[in-house]
Formats: sequence, C-alpha cells, structure tokens
Amino acid sequence: MTITRRAALALPATLLAAPLAAPRIARAQGTAITVHYAQPYIYKNSYDAILEAFSKVEPGITVNFVTTPNYEEGAQLILRQAATNQLPDLSYQGFNRLRVFAERGIAQDLAPLLARDGDPAKLGYTPSLLELARFGGIQSGLAYAASNPVTYYNAELVKRAGGDPENFPRDWNGVLDLAARIDRLGDGTEGMWFTWNGDDWMFSALLFGHGGRMLNADETDVGFGGPEGLAALTLLDRMVKQGGMPNMTAAAARQAFAAGKVGMLFQTTALVRGTLASVGENFTLRTTGMPVIDADTGRLPTGGAAGMLTAKDPARREAAWKFLRFSTGPVGQALMVRNTGYLPCNQIAIDDPQHLGAFYRENPLFLPAVRQLLVSIPWYAFPGSNSVRVTQTMVDNLARIVEQRATPQEVQADMVAEVRRLLPRKS
Amino acid sequence: MSDAAILSAPARRRGASGEAITAWALGLPAVLAYLVLLLLPTLAAILLAFTDYELGAPAFAWIGLGNFTELLGDRGFAQALRNTIFYVAVVTPGSILGALAIALLIEAGTRGRTLFRAVFFLPVVSLTVAMASAWQYLLHPSIGPLNAVLRQVGIAGPAWLSSSDTVMWSLAAIGIWENLGFNLVLFLAGLTAIPRELYAAAEVDGAPSAWERFRLVTWPMLGPTTLFVLTITMIRSVRVFDTVKVLTQGGPNKASEVLLHAMYLEGFTYFRLGYSAAITLVFLAIVLALMWLQTRVLDKRVHYG
Repeated sequence: MTITRRAALALPATLLAAPLAAPRIARAQGTAITVHYAQPYIYKNSYDAILEAFSKVEPGITVNFVTTPNYEEGAQLILRQAATNQLPDLSYQGFNRLRVFAERGIAQDLAPLLARDGDPAKLGYTPSLLELARFGGIQSGLAYAASNPVTYYNAELVKRAGGDPENFPRDWNGVLDLAARIDRLGDGTEGMWFTWNGDDWMFSALLFGHGGRMLNADETDVGFGGPEGLAALTLLDRMVKQGGMPNMTAAAARQAFAAGKVGMLFQTTALVRGTLASVGENFTLRTTGMPVIDADTGRLPTGGAAGMLTAKDPARREAAWKFLRFSTGPVGQALMVRNTGYLPCNQIAIDDPQHLGAFYRENPLFLPAVRQLLVSIPWYAFPGSNSVRVTQTMVDNLARIVEQRATPQEVQADMVAEVRRLLPRKS
Repeated sequence: MSDAAILSAPARRRGASGEAITAWALGLPAVLAYLVLLLLPTLAAILLAFTDYELGAPAFAWIGLGNFTELLGDRGFAQALRNTIFYVAVVTPGSILGALAIALLIEAGTRGRTLFRAVFFLPVVSLTVAMASAWQYLLHPSIGPLNAVLRQVGIAGPAWLSSSDTVMWSLAAIGIWENLGFNLVLFLAGLTAIPRELYAAAEVDGAPSAWERFRLVTWPMLGPTTLFVLTITMIRSVRVFDTVKVLTQGGPNKASEVLLHAMYLEGFTYFRLGYSAAITLVFLAIVLALMWLQTRVLDKRVHYG
C-alpha cells in the first residue's frame, strides 16, 4: 500500500524531470537566428516572401520568426527580454520606439557594419533613408518600411458636393471649403476626419507642414511654442469649426468612411490596402497628397518600422545582419512593397523600374505617398524615459480643441508647459 | 487487549506522520501554485512599488514613498480614480436592481423561464472584447443603429464613445449589460431557495399586496444573496479594463481613464513598472477593503441565525 502511494507520488516528479534528462537535439549545420516583428496582419506576407527569397541566397541560415500583435507589445517584449538576456537576434520596431532602445544600449550601432560593406549609398541606403533610423546618436537600425500621411477621399461625395474628383484642392483653404460643402449634404454625412488621436504623428504633419519642429535643434526646449505650433493648432480648430469635423475615435471614423459617410480622411498611406478592402464597392476611393501648407519649408513625418540588431553571438550576429541587409535591399524592399503597401526604403528599389514600376502602374492609390518622399523627414521621437508619455500628453491636449473646450492659444500654453516638464533635465 | 493497544500506538503515530507527509505532498502543487502565481508576484509588486524601476533599464533605485507622492499630484491618476468610482457607483446599483427586477419577473412568469435566463445570461459567457466591437458599432455616431433611430425622431444623438460628456455613461451602460446576467442568475438561485410557506404565512398575516410580500419576505430572505452580488459586482466593476482598452483607450483627454487602464499605460506603454506597481497597490487596497466590508460589516446584518 505504502509503496503504491509512494510510487504514485513519484510518478509526476519523474514526468517533470524527463525532459531535462533527454539529450539535446543536435542542431543542423549552419546558423539559426530568431527574428522579431510586429503587426503580422500587415507584415506577415512580406516577411514570408522575403524569407523564401533569402533562403535561396543563404541556404545555411535558418530564420525563426517571433511576432507581436502590435509595435507596443513588440517594444515591451524586447525590453523584457533585454532584462532577462533572452533577446532575439534581430527585431523590427516602430521608428518612434527605436530611440528608447538606442538610449538604453539595446540596439547596436550599425555604422561599422555598413562601412565594412562599402559605400552605403551604392547599396541604396541614401543619407535621408539612413536618417529615418538614426536615434540616440547611433545608426540604431535600417529602415524596413516607411509611410507618410495622405488624403483619402470619396469621389462620389466630392462630386455631389460640387467638387471635381480629378482636381482635388491642393491647400487647406480649398479642402476645408469642400469639406463644409460635403458636410451640408445631410443624412449624417460628415465632411472630413483627420487622425489627430492615437499618437502625435498626424499632429506632427501639421506642425512640420508649417515648418515647425517638435523640439529645438539641441533638444533642450519645445519647438511648438512659437507661431508654427499655434498655426498647427489653429488649423485643427478650423477643421472642427469650418470643416465640420466630428468628434470620433479613429476606428469609428474609418468605419464611417468605409460606409461612405465621410468625405475625406487624412491618415497613413499604410492603410491604403485595408481601406480599399473595407470600402469594397461602396464608392470610388481616391488618394492624393496631403494639402500643402508651406511649399518651401513644409515637411511630413515618416512612419514605419526599422530592423535593429540585438544579437551578441558573433555567428548569429553575422547571420542576422545578412537577413537585415537582404530585407532592406532592393529585392527585399520590392517584396515588402508588393505585400504591404508601405513605401520602399531602398533607393535602388525606388529608382530602378524593374523592381516596382509595374506595381505602381497597376496600383495608383499608392503613388501619392511616393511623390511625398522628397518632403518627408523622420518621425520625431522625444528624448528620455518619458518619450511615449509626451505623445499622450499632446493627444490629450488636442482632444480639448476637437471637443471645442479650449482655444488653440490655451492649448498651446498648456501643451508647452506639460511637455517641458516631461523633457529630461540637461545640466 | 491492552497489550495490543500499547503495541499499536507507535505504529499509529508512524502512520499519522506518513498521512501528514502525504497530505502535504498532495497539497504541494496547489501550495506551490499559490506561492508562485499569487503570493510571490504580489510581494514583487509591493517591492516594485517602492522603486523607480523601468522596463529595460539596467538598474533601479529605492525611492521609498516617491511613487505614492507622485500619485497624489498626478492629474491622470486622480481622473482615473474619479472615473472608476463613477463607474462603480453607476454599474453596481444599475446591474443589481436591474437583475433583481428581471429575476422577479422571470420567477413570477409561467412560461419561457429557461429562454429568458439564457438570453440574459448570454453577455456573461460572451467575450467582452468581441462584444465591445459590437457596442462600438451600435453606438457609432454616424452609422450606428442607436443614433439612426434617434435621427428618425428628430434628435441628434451624441458621439457616445468619443465625447467626454457621454463616454463614462456609455461605458457604464455596457458594464450594466455585462454584469446583469451574472447577477440575475445569482438572484434566481436565491429566489428558488425561499420557502413557499413564508409567502403563504405572510398572506395569512395580512400582507396581500405583492409589494408587501416583497418587502417582508423576499428582500430579507435574499439578504445573503444580495450581499454576495453587491460585493462581487463592486469588485468586478473596479476591475473594468477591456471595454476601455478596446473602445476609448482612456480618451478623450482622460475622460474615460480608469484605474487598471492607467496602470497598464504606465507599466506597459510608458515602461514605468515601479509607478505602475504603486497603482496596482492602490487597486489591491480597494479590492481588499471591499472584501473586508463584506466579511466584517455587512455579513453580520444579513445572516439570520
């Protein structure tokens, strides 16, 4: 009886210990690397296609993908794994999160590796493309996918309001006037919606458009305390007052637009594919560049993701670097564009028509963003540990304008004071 | 006979200690799970709350009550606390009174009891996140059915989930809908446990109206059930998170920020785990206070016997 009982108790223990005793599975020849990326619902096809092409060039390297549903969780994963020393070898992160990794010493400087491979510009990495992933004073990553904000509009509603879908207004005065006319069509139709919430990215489009910057050049003080900042906030105020912009969440606005109830929508070009799918046969979807604010000094922010190297083991680091280079090279970028709708981040893929010429001819909705590449600058990431909180502070203040509870002047004063408090103190 | 008893005594003792060891061994998985999954993380959170630890930071420092002093002056946290209290204050009575009323109606009805029970219980078994998407559509300001109906009668419906005037009311309404079914089932169980004779006795004693019967028999007899429902509803509504995360992300301008969402933002978006742990402790204190209220204060008043 006793023996049976003891045996019964011993059984689970044996079962638990068994895997530990089992011999390690011998690893196949070559190197295996782990690569992390976020948003598989957008990126999966592109990485799978790139891996297939990569395996033909580098049959010795095995790639295992780890994914997170979004950039936010992706950043959490890497920060957690950095603390427990379980980092993947390569991770693709949102541009605005790279700064945290660069400042915390998790992202490695890619400049020496790039220099070893020859002139970066000849490989398609022009200075402006490299700039997209330069944070914390190092080349913290290589841009993989880029986007900028564009105008989406409903050609039928524009026509019904007396506008010409072929000649969409090029400046905000014309756009707001057209939005007001669409708004007056009635039956719950809204003129426009600007993606002001979520993060500060679209607000930076208004600020950069006026030639303004988030912080001054040496990053000691806010850069939106002057006339450009006020102009950007006033423009948001005019969208509500003149354009009749309703108070909606981003998800609600996208649904209403897809249902044909919103005249124009201002958001990232990365959503062209998804919007096209949800619009279906409801109406004719058109895209065009963002309304121009200042033709000379105006700029637009660049969104997207970059690959950062985190491998420590030399062999795996080399293999991860090869995959990063391939994914950001002409072939990888052409595959990325065709599978996602993001903008290419390699000059050769952009210039050489054999890579993407046919794609853009057949998919003209993706073109406005390409034309805006010349005026695009990196997505600004705030310094210090409060970098993400600053974003939320700004969005909270913008909400006061959209709800018409404060004037642009009041909001500017509060936003300057609140963001100043969150900036790292420089001695 | 006595010899046998003397002989068997040590054997029995050995047997008892063997039983004790076996008991511990059998209990070990549960004890371990409790320690590893509940007690140690709670202790870790308590310790973290006194540090400035940030996710991914190489080191951390003890800052004593620093996080808690910051909480006192944090506009976002104050708003989150206010909103959570508002949510609890609306959802708790709303879902309890609603559930009680429906339970009485179902209990009094003769047909379709199972059907109604199932219909009202559905929200409990459905996934909140998925249901939140359905609510998002229902409450959509321009294409949502609710505002479409309001437009028919000439009322311009508000932007339920994106206006700071209505967002907490909308979330609370969803919260009531969510909790109602669960409370309903508990009340139905409580109602069936009330002996029929009490009603007959009340009628004989001169309480003919339904309201008198409810006041004199049903309500007192439901005391323990109501107490349990009250505590569980309060704790469930302090825990509100899913609907906020899916529908509003705390916006606009923190108008729908709640405790757990603030904790999530601090810890996992801003990576300030120390500060986030401090919010967790506040949350834990509230939940423990509610439980204490149940066991110490109210329990004495509703149990007869």
